[in-house]
Amino acid sequence: MTTFFQQLINGISIGSVYALMAVGYSLVYSIMNFSNFAHGGVIMLGAYMGFFALAVGNLPFPVAMILATLGSALLAIVLERIAYNPLRKRNAPYLYFIISAMGASIFLENLVIAIIGPNFKTYPKVFEKEPFLIGTLALGRLDVMMFIISAVSLTALLFIIEKTKTGMAIKATAYNLRASALMGVNTDHIIFIVFGLGGGLAGIAGVLFGMKYTVYPQIGFITTKAFIAAVFGGLGSLSGAVLGAILLGVIETITAGYFSSQLRDLIAFALLIFILVVRPMGIMGKQNEDKA
Amino acid sequence: MDWYYVEGILILSGINLLAVLGLSLLTGFTGLFSFGHAGFMAIGAYTTAFCTMTLGLNFYLALVIGGLMAGIMSLIIGKLTLNLKGDYFIIATLGFGEAIRLILDNMQYFGGARGWPGITNHTSLMNVIVINIIGIVILVNIISSKHGRNMKAIREEEMASNIIGIDVFKYKLKSLWISAMYAGVSGGLLAHYIGFLQPKMFQMIKSTELTIIVIFGGLGSVTGSVIGAIALTALPEVLRNVKEWRLVIYGATVVLIMITRPQGLMGGKEFRPIQYLKKWFGKKNKPTAEQEV
Amino acid sequence: MSLLELKNVTKQFGGLTAVGNFNLKVESKQIYGLIGPNGAGKTTIFNLITGIYNITEGEILFEGKRIDKTPTFKIADVGITRTFQNIRLFKNLTTYENILTACHFNTAYSLLDSVLRTKKYKEGEAILHQNAKELLKIMGLEERRDTIASNLPYGLQRRLEIARALALRPKLLLLDEPAAGMNEEETFQLLDLIKQVRDQFDLTILIIEHHMDLIMNLCHEITVLNFGKELAAGTPEMIQSNPKVIEAYLGEGEAAC
Repeated sequence: MTTFFQQLINGISIGSVYALMAVGYSLVYSIMNFSNFAHGGVIMLGAYMGFFALAVGNLPFPVAMILATLGSALLAIVLERIAYNPLRKRNAPYLYFIISAMGASIFLENLVIAIIGPNFKTYPKVFEKEPFLIGTLALGRLDVMMFIISAVSLTALLFIIEKTKTGMAIKATAYNLRASALMGVNTDHIIFIVFGLGGGLAGIAGVLFGMKYTVYPQIGFITTKAFIAAVFGGLGSLSGAVLGAILLGVIETITAGYFSSQLRDLIAFALLIFILVVRPMGIMGKQNEDKA
Repeated sequence: MDWYYVEGILILSGINLLAVLGLSLLTGFTGLFSFGHAGFMAIGAYTTAFCTMTLGLNFYLALVIGGLMAGIMSLIIGKLTLNLKGDYFIIATLGFGEAIRLILDNMQYFGGARGWPGITNHTSLMNVIVINIIGIVILVNIISSKHGRNMKAIREEEMASNIIGIDVFKYKLKSLWISAMYAGVSGGLLAHYIGFLQPKMFQMIKSTELTIIVIFGGLGSVTGSVIGAIALTALPEVLRNVKEWRLVIYGATVVLIMITRPQGLMGGKEFRPIQYLKKWFGKKNKPTAEQEV
Repeated sequence: MSLLELKNVTKQFGGLTAVGNFNLKVESKQIYGLIGPNGAGKTTIFNLITGIYNITEGEILFEGKRIDKTPTFKIADVGITRTFQNIRLFKNLTTYENILTACHFNTAYSLLDSVLRTKKYKEGEAILHQNAKELLKIMGLEERRDTIASNLPYGLQRRLEIARALALRPKLLLLDEPAAGMNEEETFQLLDLIKQVRDQFDLTILIIEHHMDLIMNLCHEITVLNFGKELAAGTPEMIQSNPKVIEAYLGEGEAAC
C-alpha cells in the first residue's frame, strides 16, 4: 500500500508539471485554434536558461526560476511575432500555422545543438537528496517542490484569468475571436498576453523537468505529453488540461512502477487513441455542431 | 564526389519521394495532416524485411505485402480517428506513429530497440526509379479522376462536399489508405537499402520531414513533391560542411516559406514541359486549342 | 403528395429552441419562400432538411419518404441540394472544376478504373466533361471558365454556387439568401435566372431571402418565421396584407439588414 501511495504522489507531482505545459498549450489553442507544436522548443530553452542561471551564473534558485520564466515568456512572444503573426494577418489556413510551428521547433532544437551541443547537462543540486518522511511515506524534496511550484503557478494563472479584466478579455476571445474583436477587445494584445503566459508556464515546466531529469536539446519532445493531457481534458479547456495532466502523470508512474518503464510511453499513447475514439471531445470539452 | 555517393543520395531521395507522393495525396490533395506516416513506413519496412528474410519471399512480392500491411493498419486507424476534427486527428496520428515505434522497441523478435541488422540489399537505383514512376502514374491518374476531384473538394470545403453528395469519410479513408500504402512500400525499400532496421529511424521527426517536403514542394502539386523530395534529401548532404547548422537553416527555411511563400515551390501548379513547348510553338496556328486540365 | 413536408419539426440547441413545432408543405414545381427576421430559424430549417443538424422532434418527408435520419452526403442522392448564405465554393479551384466536381454524380467508375485508365473511366469522364460544359453555358459562366472561384466577382460566385448545385440534377433546390450583397440590377438578373433554371431543370425551389421585391415576385407561396415558429403562411398577397406580419417583420424589416 505504501508503494502505491508513493507512486500516486510521484504521479501527481509529475502530472502537475505536465499540467503547466498542457495549460499553456491549451490556452494558445483556445484562442488561436491551432496546436502550437513549437511549445516544446520554449520548454527546452526554459530548461537551458534555468541551467545556465544556476550552473554558470551561480544565481540563487528563485532568481534562476524567475529569469527562466521571463525569458521563456519573451521567447514565446517573439516566436508568435515571427512565425505566426504574419500568417494571422493574412488569415492563412490553420495548417500553415502548424507547419510554421514545426519549422520553429526544428530551428530552436538544432540551434541549441549547434551552439551548446547535443550533450546531456545535469542541473546543479538545488534541493537536498534526503526525502521528507511522513509516517512510512518518503517524499522526495524535489517532487514536493515540483508540485508546490506548479500549483502556485497554476493558481496565479487562474487568478489572472478569472479575476482580472485581461482575463475576462481572454475568455471572451477564446469564446469567439472575431466577435470579441468587434466588441472592441484588442485581439493582438490578447494574443501577446496569452503567448506570454503560456511561454512563462513552459519555462517553469522546463526548469522543473531539467531538475528532475537532465537537460538536452530533445527535451521539448516531452510536450507530446502535454498534447495527450490536453486531449484527455478536451482541447481548449484549461481545467480539463489540468485534470488530464494529473491523470496522465498518475497512470504513467503507476505503469512504470508496477509493470515496466518501457511500457510507460506506450500506455500514454494507447490511452490517447482510446480516449479519442471513445470520447473525442475529452473529459471536459464540449462538442459543437459546425455552423452552416 | 564519386558516383557511388551520388547514387546513394538519389536512392534515398527516391525512397523519400515515394512516401512523399503518398502523403501529398493526403495532405496536398485531401487537406489532412498526418504526423504518423513514419509509423506506416515502419510497418512496411518490418513487414517487407520479415517476408524476405524470414519467409524467403521474392523482394517485389514482399514490397507489395508490406504496402498492403501498412494499408490495412491505416484503414483501422482511419476508421477510428478520421471523424475527429482538425487537431484531434493530427494528435491521433502522432499518437499512432509513436505507439508503433514503441511497440517495435519492445518486440524482441525484431531486435527491439537495438535494431535488426543484416537485411539483404535488394534496393537499387533502377528499381527505385521504376517504382517511383509507377507511383507517379498511379497518383496522377487518381488525381485527374473524379476520385481525386472529390478529395480536392474535401480539402477546399468539407460541408459543401457533403452537400454535393461526396461521402467525406469514405474519401478521407481512401486517401489515407493509398498514402499509407505508398509509405509502406517506401519503408520496404528503405529496409533493403540500409540493410538495417531500428525503430528510432521512424520517429515523429521522420513524419515531420515528409510533411515538410510536401509543403516545400507546394500543396497539391505532384511535380512540386518530386522536386521537393530530391532537393530536401540532397540539401542536408550538400550542407555537410556546415553540419550542425544545416537543420537550423532547414527549420528557419520552413518558417520563412510559410510566412513568405506558403504555396510552396509549385503551389498547386504542375510543371509540364511538353505543354509549355506546345503553348510556345503552337499558339499561332491554333488559337483556341482545347485542353483539359 | 407534397414533394417536401416538415411535420412538427423541432430543433433545440441545449435548452434553446431554434425551431419549434414547425410545419411546411412544398408542392412539386413550386417556388416557396421562407422569410423572417434574422435569427428566426430559417437557415436552421435548411440545415435540418439537409441533415447538417439532427432534428430533436418531428418528421421530414421527401416524396413521402422520411429523410430526417439521412446523412448529409446522401441527401444529394435523394434529390435535394442547396446553396449557402455565406458562399461555400471550392475556393482554390476554377469555375469549371467547381462544376465538374459536382457532376461526379452522373457516372460511376471505380478507383481502379481511374488508375488503369480503362474504357469505363474514359467514357465516364467524357460524360462528366460534357455535363460540366453544358452547365457552364446555361449559367453564362463560359467566359470565366478558368477563373479561380475566389477571384470571381460576388454576383458570379453566387451564380456558380447555383450552377454547382444544378450539376447534381436535384428535384429540390434550397437557396439561402441568394441575393445577399447584390445590387438592384444583379438582383433582378438573379430573379430571371432562378425562373429560367426552374423551367429548364424542372425544379422545385425553397428560397430564403430578405429582399422583398424578389420574394414577392418569385414565390407562389410564403411562410413567415418568427422566433423559430410560423407566424403566417400563404400567397404573397395574403402575406403582404397580414397585419401580424406587417407588425412583426415588415415593420422592422429595414432594421433587420
